[in-house]
Amino acid sequence: MPKKEVSQTDRMVVTRIFDAPRELVWKAWTDPQYVMQWWGPKGFTAPVCRIDFRVGGKFLCCMRTPDGQEFWNAGEYHEIVLHEKIVSSMYFSDAEGNKVEPAQYGIEHPAIEDAFDVVTFEDLGNGRTKLTFIGNETMESAKNSGQLEGWNEVLDKFDAIVAGLRG
Amino acid sequence: MIERLSHGPASVHGLTESFAVSQQMISKHIAYLVRARIVNKTKRGRESVCTLRPEAIKSVSDWASYYRRFWEESFDKLDVVVNQMKKMEARDAKKRG
Repeated sequence: MPKKEVSQTDRMVVTRIFDAPRELVWKAWTDPQYVMQWWGPKGFTAPVCRIDFRVGGKFLCCMRTPDGQEFWNAGEYHEIVLHEKIVSSMYFSDAEGNKVEPAQYGIEHPAIEDAFDVVTFEDLGNGRTKLTFIGNETMESAKNSGQLEGWNEVLDKFDAIVAGLRG
Repeated sequence: MIERLSHGPASVHGLTESFAVSQQMISKHIAYLVRARIVNKTKRGRESVCTLRPEAIKSVSDWASYYRRFWEESFDKLDVVVNQMKKMEARDAKKRG
């Protein structure tokens, strides 16, 4: 379909720096008890949130608009790297988590096939964490997201080993 | 497509020309929008004319910004939650001494 529709949401990136350690931000992101407190735009509530947090596991969240309309979203976890990265899919669903066409909610979703959301957690030191959300990635680029940090850590470890050997 | 129709009704033929894709593709997309009750399709002579349903305009035009807004505003709330968690943890740590 018209390319413009796809590019509007193509590679949407939202970043935020939290004044909290990475483990805590991770917990807030993955524990339904906390997710219910932040899921959805301003003024919306999230009365239901269920998370089966493992690769292949699914999540189901309901958000309620200020005028009481309910929207259900579900998705599946495709990759989990503890305290570092989560790759997942997300779609509109019914209350049982079954995928529904966004049109049923009156939304024309410029659906991108094989699209994934990537969240990376970066430890900035001094108890600060940078959270990066990249929407609508293909699996290929999702795999590569955050790889740079991964490599840096590998290199750091490598340096340490090298230093130890020198010792 | 939605943006094109927001400027006024258009024939299927006209839409096909605007998007430089096959009429089959356009018809498929229109059928989807009609099912979703976003677009009305009426016959005018030999031509099918598509009109955007006025009540659909709001939710649809919201979509592009909706996805970003969802995450931006969720992040705002997450910031509050994280700060509360931090306070709770500090309090618990204090209790434990």
